Amino acid sequence: MITDVEKALVKECLVFAGEEGASDARITLTKSTEDQIATLDGEIDKVTRCADRTLNIALFADGRFGSFSSNKLERESLKQFIKGAVQTVKMLSPDPFRKLPERERCCASALSGKEMDIYDQAYNGIDASARRMAALEAAVSGKVLPGLPEGVRLVSEEGEYSDSEYDVYVVDSQGLECRHTETSFDYGVEVTIEDASGDKYSDFWWTSSPRLKDFDASACGLTAVRRACAQIGALPAESGKYNMVVAANVSSRLVSPLLNALNAYSLQQGNSFLVGSLGRQVFSNNMTILDEPWRKGETGSKLFDSEGVATKEGPIISGGIVMRYFVNTYMAGKTGFQPTVEEATRPRLCAYPSEELDQEGLMRLCGNGILVTDFNGGNCNPATGDFSYGISGQLFENGKLLRPVSEMLVTGNFLTLWKNLIGAGSDYRRCATKLIGSLAFKDVDFSG
Amino acid sequence: MNNNIDLFGLSLPQLRAIVAEGIKGGDWCDLYFEQTVYNDLLLRDGAVASGGFHLDYGCGVRVLSGEKTGYAYSESTDFQSLIDAARAAGAIAGKSGSVKIEAAPTAPPPPYGMQLHWDDADKKQLASWLEKLEAAIRSRDSRPCKVIALLSWSVSNILMYNSLDQLTSDTRPLASVTVTAIFKQGDATEQRNVSRSFRRGREMLDDALIGTLADEAVKDLDDSFAARRPKGGQMSVVMAAGASGILLHEAMGHAFEADFNRKGQSIFCDRMGKRICKEGINIIDDGTVPFNRGALLYDDEGTPSQKTYMVRNGVLTSYLHDRISAAWYGVAPTGNGRRESFRYNPIPRMRCTYMESGADGTLQDLISEVKKGVYVDKFANGEVKIGEGDFTFYVNRGYLIENGRLTMPVKDINIIGNGPRALADIVAVAGDLKIDDGTWTCGKEQSVAVSCGIPSVLINNLTVGGE
Repeated sequence: MITDVEKALVKECLVFAGEEGASDARITLTKSTEDQIATLDGEIDKVTRCADRTLNIALFADGRFGSFSSNKLERESLKQFIKGAVQTVKMLSPDPFRKLPERERCCASALSGKEMDIYDQAYNGIDASARRMAALEAAVSGKVLPGLPEGVRLVSEEGEYSDSEYDVYVVDSQGLECRHTETSFDYGVEVTIEDASGDKYSDFWWTSSPRLKDFDASACGLTAVRRACAQIGALPAESGKYNMVVAANVSSRLVSPLLNALNAYSLQQGNSFLVGSLGRQVFSNNMTILDEPWRKGETGSKLFDSEGVATKEGPIISGGIVMRYFVNTYMAGKTGFQPTVEEATRPRLCAYPSEELDQEGLMRLCGNGILVTDFNGGNCNPATGDFSYGISGQLFENGKLLRPVSEMLVTGNFLTLWKNLIGAGSDYRRCATKLIGSLAFKDVDFSG
Repeated sequence: MNNNIDLFGLSLPQLRAIVAEGIKGGDWCDLYFEQTVYNDLLLRDGAVASGGFHLDYGCGVRVLSGEKTGYAYSESTDFQSLIDAARAAGAIAGKSGSVKIEAAPTAPPPPYGMQLHWDDADKKQLASWLEKLEAAIRSRDSRPCKVIALLSWSVSNILMYNSLDQLTSDTRPLASVTVTAIFKQGDATEQRNVSRSFRRGREMLDDALIGTLADEAVKDLDDSFAARRPKGGQMSVVMAAGASGILLHEAMGHAFEADFNRKGQSIFCDRMGKRICKEGINIIDDGTVPFNRGALLYDDEGTPSQKTYMVRNGVLTSYLHDRISAAWYGVAPTGNGRRESFRYNPIPRMRCTYMESGADGTLQDLISEVKKGVYVDKFANGEVKIGEGDFTFYVNRGYLIENGRLTMPVKDINIIGNGPRALADIVAVAGDLKIDDGTWTCGKEQSVAVSCGIPSVLINNLTVGGE
């Protein structure tokens, strides 16, 4: 954790920057520790101890701007580092739009860093043997695997338990001072199985929690094995238009391009398919995405962004209408847009048409279609919204799984896809920072 | 060669003492010291008004006990911090006595260097070079509405020491120029991303590089605006020489990495010595290509780099090894133990992966053999599932092939297939190998700089996604 001595050093660096000729500066000190215990086939395979610290400084001098970082935090090293940084800034071209955010937009409520209640004191009580135990108990190799099809064997299981502590402290020359601390307990596992004919299938699962008491990795291994087994015998389905249900663990893949397109950097460059969309209905009126960064105890909650600007709860898209761009201080100057936070902090896509829908419910709603359980490669053209992704999953009929499919592509345009939203589940994973449940769309092009 | 000891403020006896502490917990201990200074200058909206530098410094301590790894690092290289890190890493397990690691031979001369060191750079001159680059792009085409050009460079000073008392040292430059140009034609928008990356000094920033990048940024732009998605389906695919080598990297190269094979996860784990593609095909991973982004003097375990034939004449002949997998298989390491930084333990990684030229004529010969298919001029990115071998690659631009001729330009499609099957379905390899010098970065657990290459090849039976 960041100490009072380190906080004093950070403030002293602001003074150094001023003495060297900087008109303004923002300094961010980040410290983290992490212990990782990796297993291979149920035995400890790797033990890693990580301890990181970085001091980032955003410098403004003579109407110019530069960004610098160092992990050598001794006082004299930092003085030399800042001297060199100011000299570098003075060699760049002036940019009138570079400035610190207005004081009134900045966070004033993150004083201790623990306001979001995602720092668990239990972290400090975990010792090496507890970590080993957590990793070994989560592993499934050598254990009875209920539901494993006949002739199928587990070839390999790689698991990793980790716990970490993260602490960030931000100050600037206009008096900003805020802090955010969090802990995280994580487990991820990747398995490879082999069927009777020697074909291999791999899959993974993971979980995470900011609190030890809520951390439960016991189902991860078996979930990964079941997901791998579900792919046995997968073949492409016939090419054509299908209803598409996207599982909650991968559905954020279809939301991230929208959020990126709402970022002022993309908009300013003309490299966004949502240019000119603010205040307009461009998606299905069933679609609402809220930003919910202030939920205490929840993964991803945070009171300020990297500029120290206070986060805000509210709609990003409401009934298909774009309500918010993401505009940092620099881009606000360049574009004339009102400044906001720099990106969505903890977006949640609201369930539709009922609050209780999950993946199975959406499949029933669709009747027939393809359930996408994983994406494999692909891309989105940010300027047009055209996309093409490799997928694997399950063909379903009458709301029931029929057979696995793989080596298929789904192609389309994001504006069209989201206009064809027919359902959104409330089954998002609480351990994720984007709270996107299962999704259902009509008339989606699949080829295979 | 050992000057970097001074840089990290330690003596050889202290290095020995740290390793002695670590090896109490295992059979092998190595230290990896790194000081990297990253720099960048960004041109946006006609001005180089953003830049900076970033210092990363520290040491990783690895202890091996059999195939098990203990790893810890410190961002301070004072003696006591590293003794503590060695103790933490040494907590992995008791001695297994099973590791037999051979001493590394001497490395050849480095495949890179700097005639003009980046430390002496005048940043105003570098900014002027970026402005010339933008002007060159705009002089070739009137349609760019935005040009973003990033010049980034780093110099890493590395020191490695291990429990065989081997001390190795390296200075690695890596510099990249990446351009994103956005073109407008009516309501239509086209984005071009072009890049070049080398392990060289400032001498790489010449007029020739400006010309190369500017030409590529506007190449066949009219066709890109006219391009459409074709009707999808299974068809023959001709891949252009150069950047199509990413297919080799993703769909085949990863499956040749020894860790995936040692753990039984790769589809090639039981194929050593067997034919996996047509006679005459040679696939190589090479750390010795001069000034190449993937070149290394030593890998990150101190093993001298080399040119490794993974497939020779169609037969699988070698995996890519780090020290752990080499010991497990009882072979010599191939110099593929790489890591992102001192914060990571090394694992088998590719360097510059390519296929040698074939004897099946020219690109035009390959196209003329195809009745209906797709010619892929530029891939953007790809992804592979190691166990199944299923891959997906995104095509930035290409053309339909109809009756042996290029016809309609196509874009924004994916090509999917299966690595081993695609390898077996290569029916022709032209004699035009080209190494692509773009800013390829491999993201297997950690990010490392790589490159790739391939001659033009014809592959049957790939699935092309379309309308």
